[in-house]
Amino acid sequence: MSLPSGHTMGHNDQVAQRRARCSDIYQRRLSSRSEKVSPGMHSSSHQQQDGEAAMHGAHMDSSVRYTPYAISPYNRKGSFRKQDQTHVNMEREQKPPERRMEGNMPDGTLGSWFKITVPFGIKYNEKWLLNLIRKECSVPFIPVEFHYENMHASFFVENASIAYALKNVSGKISDEDNEKISIFVSPAGIPHFAQKELKSEKVEQIKLAMNQQCDVSQEALDIQGLPFYPDMMTRNTKMASNPGKCMAASLHVHEENIPTVMSAEGMDKWKGIEPGEKGAERSPVCTTFLDNSSNINSILELFPKLLCLDGQQSPRPTLCGTEAHKMLPTCKGSFFGSEMLKNLVLQFLQQYYLIYDSGDRQGLLSAYHDEACFSLSIPFNPEDSAPSSLCKYFKDSRNIKILKDPYLKGELLKHTKRDIVDSLSALPKTQHDLSSFLVDMWCQTEWMLCFSVNGVFKEVEGQSQGSVLAFTRTFITTPGSSSSLCIVNDKLFVRDTSHQGTQSALFTLVPTAFSSVPAFSQEQQKMLPS
Amino acid sequence: MRRGRSYWSQEDRERHQRRSYYYEGPHTSHSSSGGQTREEVVTPPVPEHAAAGSPMAMSVDFKTYVDQACRAAEEFVNIYYETMDKRRRALTRLYLDKATLIWNGNAVSGLDALNNFFDTLPSSEFQVNMLDCQPVHEQATQSQTTVLVVTSGTVKFDGNKQHYFNQNFLLTAQSTPNNTVWKIASDCFRFQDWSSS
Repeated sequence: MSLPSGHTMGHNDQVAQRRARCSDIYQRRLSSRSEKVSPGMHSSSHQQQDGEAAMHGAHMDSSVRYTPYAISPYNRKGSFRKQDQTHVNMEREQKPPERRMEGNMPDGTLGSWFKITVPFGIKYNEKWLLNLIRKECSVPFIPVEFHYENMHASFFVENASIAYALKNVSGKISDEDNEKISIFVSPAGIPHFAQKELKSEKVEQIKLAMNQQCDVSQEALDIQGLPFYPDMMTRNTKMASNPGKCMAASLHVHEENIPTVMSAEGMDKWKGIEPGEKGAERSPVCTTFLDNSSNINSILELFPKLLCLDGQQSPRPTLCGTEAHKMLPTCKGSFFGSEMLKNLVLQFLQQYYLIYDSGDRQGLLSAYHDEACFSLSIPFNPEDSAPSSLCKYFKDSRNIKILKDPYLKGELLKHTKRDIVDSLSALPKTQHDLSSFLVDMWCQTEWMLCFSVNGVFKEVEGQSQGSVLAFTRTFITTPGSSSSLCIVNDKLFVRDTSHQGTQSALFTLVPTAFSSVPAFSQEQQKMLPS
Repeated sequence: MRRGRSYWSQEDRERHQRRSYYYEGPHTSHSSSGGQTREEVVTPPVPEHAAAGSPMAMSVDFKTYVDQACRAAEEFVNIYYETMDKRRRALTRLYLDKATLIWNGNAVSGLDALNNFFDTLPSSEFQVNMLDCQPVHEQATQSQTTVLVVTSGTVKFDGNKQHYFNQNFLLTAQSTPNNTVWKIASDCFRFQDWSSS
């Protein structure tokens, strides 16, 4: 993401290279917004043929068949969230790995789409990237609607076995800087370009149905066990009817209803500054990137708590103060220096935790500076016996108040991005609840942006599976390439939530804050606090 | 990439030995020497800080920065919370003129505002259970030596129930030939359980 300091190239070469890369990225971003359908797309029947041909040539068993005993989500009552969780759990027990990734169509057939995402893929030329993947992939594939989205590159494939084969390529390919390239795969419903079968009246019906069902749930969205699909976090949790088609329609609806952009404020230094180029010349891509309204709004939907709490006061001032001589100031929600920085930070967090929760944290290498630092701590309470949910973090915990051994003090502070990412990879697998995030941006200069994130996450494997832990994480970042952030310091503090009562106690301040938020209609947008 | 840095170079070893007599322990600043007040966080002088990327930068290795950061952090935390609890009016002496504080989402900026703010806060009793620190990379600070200090524990403000808290500081070093004075450039404070009753 950013060039390390002390790079051996001459400054002018660096600048020229970066410009070239940036203008490529600019082209990609421009074209990705305007085209809806890839010009190289074949008719759906042709694709089907190719898909089947690919399957026959595949190395796996063609064990793709109708399974009458698999319970499709639409047949069950209850929230979409619960259905899918149980469904996936069942699959995990009974079916071979590639099964887990099949989307379920109402009639049980498996013509299913998968979205393939390369994190930070915006750095790469499309042809180059696809060729690289093809070389390593065990099956041939046709990438459909290749596009760049935020910092990532994505395309669709219409087959579970292919998706699985692509997933296996993750980490086996590297770019020109020798950084490993990761690949993420998730079920995708029916992408909008394939929606031609849905007649417009049906789409209207689905929209109506969605609006009726779009009441806001009181519980934190539980996405444990769901294949990770970022857009799903913004969807309504109560889709009792056909989820596949609903999701397709909601993809469509979402794009139509994006409200007009709020203009980005000037914090010029942060609009894509390159290290060493202090504002003199800025690459055009970064300005465009940050003005992208659909980016901003989809991010805000991921962080509903920020929408509700930002700048607002607590509805219960007695929480913090009583009739003492002096009252405590009212506790407020997230604090950001400016709208633009807020979007920058939220995008960063979305991308960071996408990878952090994916099961493969090696993808974070590009987020850190070569000489970054990381350490973690858990609370030390003399009265407590060690809480079991924190014991996995205990051996890495650095608390210099009680740790006097100078050797350990050094060891527990991870230095260099390789050591850091290795260390992070050894920590338990997690699922962070982005809707619980509270962010304080507390120091900002021309060269540094420092912010702390408070929130909760779940452990998703091992003995403490399902237990909820709270964390505070402080990032010190510098401007990276392509308007990204480069982490130089990372400090994680993990604690359990037991002394705070149940998980829901964390969210009582604004009841609707943590809910999964559906795509906003224009009417709903007007009702949001500004 | 360590680029061949060793942990303890000969120079550093000698420098460390020369200074060990000077640094007396966590309460150095409480013994008045050289006109320091009680509310100053002072440590031995910062190692020579060369420009980033120059060959000289290699000679000041990472371990030195880490050690220095730890010393500053430990000393700082002792003084800060004691001052906060017992000598509240002197607290702003630990802040830079243009320092900022985000206190449970409330932004306070500059010494005047900080003075008002700390004046309106009820009296406090802090108990710090966790302390950690990291040297901040020079790319973020343009060679202004800075330490990230993170604390956690409990606090009881008069008239209020006890809260768990997390606090982050950025301390910057202001060097004189004889010593280094550390001041708070930025401060972020949050109750951990701020949303529950």
